Amino acid sequence: MRSKRTLFLIEVAVFTALALMLDIIPFLSIKLWAQGGSVSLAMIPVFIIAFRWGLKGGLLSGFLWGILQIAVGTGYVLHPLQGFIDYAMAFTVIGFAGIFAKQVQEAVQSGNSKVYLTYITLGVILGSMLRLAAHFAAGVVFFESAVEGQSVWVYSFLYNVSYIVPSAVISVVAVFLLFHKQPRTLLMAA
Amino acid sequence: MNNALIIGQYVPGESLVHRLDPRTKITVIFFFVFIVFLANSVVSYSVLVIFALLSMFITRIPIRFILKGLTPVWFLIVFTFILHLIVTNKGTVLMDLFGFSIYSGALIQGFAISIRFFLLILVTSLLTLTTTPIEITDAIEDMLHPLKKLRFPVHELALMMSISLRFIPTLMQETDKISKAQASRGVDFRTGPLKERIRAVVPLLVPLFVSAFKRAEELAMAMEARGYQGGEGRTKLRELKLRKRDVMILLLFIAVVAVLLVTRNY
Repeated sequence: MRSKRTLFLIEVAVFTALALMLDIIPFLSIKLWAQGGSVSLAMIPVFIIAFRWGLKGGLLSGFLWGILQIAVGTGYVLHPLQGFIDYAMAFTVIGFAGIFAKQVQEAVQSGNSKVYLTYITLGVILGSMLRLAAHFAAGVVFFESAVEGQSVWVYSFLYNVSYIVPSAVISVVAVFLLFHKQPRTLLMAA
Repeated sequence: MNNALIIGQYVPGESLVHRLDPRTKITVIFFFVFIVFLANSVVSYSVLVIFALLSMFITRIPIRFILKGLTPVWFLIVFTFILHLIVTNKGTVLMDLFGFSIYSGALIQGFAISIRFFLLILVTSLLTLTTTPIEITDAIEDMLHPLKKLRFPVHELALMMSISLRFIPTLMQETDKISKAQASRGVDFRTGPLKERIRAVVPLLVPLFVSAFKRAEELAMAMEARGYQGGEGRTKLRELKLRKRDVMILLLFIAVVAVLLVTRNY
């Protein structure tokens, strides 16, 4: 009997590798800011896993992505709390897109492209906004530690919005097209 | 592209820092990130700077690799420094520039913050410069071990971390191959307006994702055919072992922290 468990673990691992890789490849990501934060395709694999395996897969993949950034050395820690929020939390919460997994899969199965476009959009927006919130909070923590007594939330907000919003738009388009063109591969082989 | 196949910043070497147990390095760096914030005087900052620079020289990693790791934060350092010059108004007025008064306190604080960032980035990048990603994930697995009692899936997480790292180069080659194939058909990824580039990316993503699914399925099947049933009893090629030098470094670090606490406010 084939257990789904091994496949689950391996798929999450391979797609997290995709996320890390898509972030690194120079011609596929547009570096807006020198210190991390690029408009890139890197969130797409996490969304795919989230819609395919649900909440658990999405959260796990995101968490793994954050941890591996530290291991690979692309993460920057300038304050303990900022490090924790930026890398342990911000990427994990992208996985919350997975709460729409069931709706997306059902709509893909019945071929109702408008419905799954809607749910993919909702999922991607939810995941991206939660990530934005986390990076924003981390940014505030960081700036507060650097410049005392200033209302610094504007910097953090503008900086993070500047790359997360475009990345989210790209993710919606790409995730939708992937489900649209390859519904069989992406659906759970139930 | 070939250079990008080497993942992470690891620079091979035989120095003491390279040979330390990754758990030792992670522990020291973890606490370093906290104690940096305790420094508040010339002497206490100097203690930390000496510690960081000494560690850096011991690694014998060429300076250019270290500077490369620092490049992304120069902007941040300059930005916060300028912010301090504008908003901080402690101490005495040093000079007037276009109606702005620059205070001595601003210079001092801006300088202190810059040193702090420099220390943080230097020390954290020493970890990834001297430790392979695999060593780091092995160490993380080992250090998370106590969480197993809380039913946190430590083994599974470790397995996934090592598989992820193993697959990055493979996936990069795959991406390279596909993008060359698509480029030979006239797809242009590198130039043009954003919208065109996004459109160009779709014929790259579809085969890439499909092949990633295939690879995952094949690997999962191969593992199960060989009797993989979950983490219990899985052994490692390289076992982590704490040695005398690890204990020495940990003691040295405790001494540094003690000196720092004593020299605060001096």
